[in-house]
Amino acid sequence: MVEWIHPGMVVFLGAFLIPFITRRKVKLAYFLFLPIAGLTLVVLMSMGTFSPIPSWPGSLQKWQIRFLDYTLVLGKIDKMSLIFAYIYLIAAFCMNLYALHVKNDWEHVAAMIYVGSALGAIFAGDFFTLFFFLEMMSWAPVFLLWFRGTKKSTGAAIRYALWHHFSGACILAGIVIHLHRTGSIELSRLPWGWGGEYLGYNLMLLGFIINAATTPFHSWLSDTYSEATPSGSIYMTAYTTKTAIFCLIRTFPGVPLLMWMGAIQAVFALFMAVLENDGRRLCSYHIISQIGYMVAGVGIGTEMAINGAISHALCHIIYNALLYMGAGCVLVVAGTAKFDRLGGLYKYMPISFWLYMVGGFSISGFPLFNGFISKVMTIEAAELIHNAPIYLLLEGATVGTFLHTGLKLPWNMWLQGKDEPPPEIRAKLKDSPVNTPLHMLLGMGILAFFCIFMGVYPQVLYDRLPYPVMFIPFTTTRVFSIMQMFIFTFIGFWFLRGLVTGHPTYTLDTDWPVRMAGRKLVWFCEKPLMAFANFVDGKVMDLVDFLTWFSQNPAVALSIKKEEWRLRAKSLLTNPAGVEKHRTDLERKKRAYPGELPKLTLGASLLLILLAFLLYLIIYLLGAG
Amino acid sequence: MKMNPLRHYPKKFFWIVYFIGLGLSLVLDPLWLHSHVLHYHFPLQYLPEFFAIFGLFGCMLLILIAKGMGLFIVRGEDYYERESRR
Repeated sequence: MVEWIHPGMVVFLGAFLIPFITRRKVKLAYFLFLPIAGLTLVVLMSMGTFSPIPSWPGSLQKWQIRFLDYTLVLGKIDKMSLIFAYIYLIAAFCMNLYALHVKNDWEHVAAMIYVGSALGAIFAGDFFTLFFFLEMMSWAPVFLLWFRGTKKSTGAAIRYALWHHFSGACILAGIVIHLHRTGSIELSRLPWGWGGEYLGYNLMLLGFIINAATTPFHSWLSDTYSEATPSGSIYMTAYTTKTAIFCLIRTFPGVPLLMWMGAIQAVFALFMAVLENDGRRLCSYHIISQIGYMVAGVGIGTEMAINGAISHALCHIIYNALLYMGAGCVLVVAGTAKFDRLGGLYKYMPISFWLYMVGGFSISGFPLFNGFISKVMTIEAAELIHNAPIYLLLEGATVGTFLHTGLKLPWNMWLQGKDEPPPEIRAKLKDSPVNTPLHMLLGMGILAFFCIFMGVYPQVLYDRLPYPVMFIPFTTTRVFSIMQMFIFTFIGFWFLRGLVTGHPTYTLDTDWPVRMAGRKLVWFCEKPLMAFANFVDGKVMDLVDFLTWFSQNPAVALSIKKEEWRLRAKSLLTNPAGVEKHRTDLERKKRAYPGELPKLTLGASLLLILLAFLLYLIIYLLGAG
Repeated sequence: MKMNPLRHYPKKFFWIVYFIGLGLSLVLDPLWLHSHVLHYHFPLQYLPEFFAIFGLFGCMLLILIAKGMGLFIVRGEDYYERESRR
């Protein structure tokens, strides 16, 4: 009997076979099969085929490997990692379905490595394994960005790598300090506080919140996700940030700082979203805003809040992939996702519109959609600790979320009150209500099904959460208040809809100082630093040239140099005619250089050699002293 | 006659549903729900029509404040590209 098979390893290693399959149909079938294989393993795990799953917080430890003086645990299986693995793989299957049209095999490989390493991270039982997989995860999206092939995406890829290697370095530093203090690499809850003794933990926390795109470190997300390939960006929406939330739940539950950061982030991102013109960037700001709920949930740290954070992370993967797919459809079909160039598309892609709207209703938290059942848990947790500011911020974020993803984005992309899209977009469309490729609609359809299924039957999720759920989402109070809120949000939108239309603009974000400082650094390296380097280089080369020239005939060279100095002194004192003669003599002498080399006698040669040895001896003795 | 497969979005249906919802939420809130059914955690939430006000003003404030922020942070579409050419 096999001890255990790591579903992440299946996906990760299986990815490398994709380019070697020649028949395209077999290749695509294999590509779809990879997440299903992983999912089968997860189902077997949860059925207790390998060993029964203990109740939270107990865990199984599989695949323990000795490494130097430590034991690496590749498989820490508990209720939380199982439910994450389920959703990761279900989402991966739908994303693969959506990405079937992509011709570049290596994009598939990068995506599957990404999914595989994300699974590796959530099954990690120690910090070294976790760090290894987080680093792998920070590379895969770089390729998803590069494969877009535009100049912007190339730059975005480098910025992505820089941000994530910075956060990786912070996490590694934290791990090393933690290891030095405790001697343990076990992935467990860590202490937190202000002050020098918590430096390592604060560094680790910083690394995780950069990965989770917490304000003010959120801008890498909106900057890069919107530049990836249409299908590649879907993978990016799901894994990096949610794995960071997973790490936060494992290591820093109940840190009050996180509660405030999360609540502020949930609202701040919405202000940025108002000004956004690009559909995918708008959705990116919504990822940031939704992560705010999760971070706040982790920060509140009660059983209900942790449950809320986990369920929101999982529901978020599903509906946000759906939203990004909706925006990606328009990008693929119409060639742009910019609001100022769209509108009136409904007639030509109504199915994409309605599938997108399922995602939009879910993210806003409409009852009977999956955002509702997870979001209200976190909000309820904030109410139960009687923290009114946190509650108001999170509730306010609900309003803004509905305003953007439920109203602004669909209005600007598909409707704008127009019957026909702008002529240059119309030219790209067929006279049919189905312009979107079928496999994309299928991928979206499955996700939409899960949005509604989890929303109508939340028990399917609640039963698998780590803590027992004593929570009924559908109370009259909640359903009524949220519906009333949305109805009135719509009035606000309808009156101000002229203000939220698209304009061809770019909104500066918190990364502006960093990017400008980066530019200045590059400028400093290219201009003053290079000028200085060239100067030093020139001087050194001059010296080398001189030494070469001098050593050809040192005796004559010395006399030439002496003559030059004498000439210089003479030109200051005596009349020009005499100087001129001297100069022509010197010129002739220089041209003749090196001329006849002086013949040395044997004795003189030996003397010179001895002198050289003496010099060497002196240097050697001085150096040794 | 062949039906045109291209249809516009169901505008009329939407408005009818919307106004029914609007009317119901406005009327039911103070008359029945607040005194009998609803259960909240903060006194603020017990104000009649609190969530209506919260939704409406939340949404409008969000847009207006963001537009105000926009005066300072909105740039041309190729802002970073232009900066790098300079």
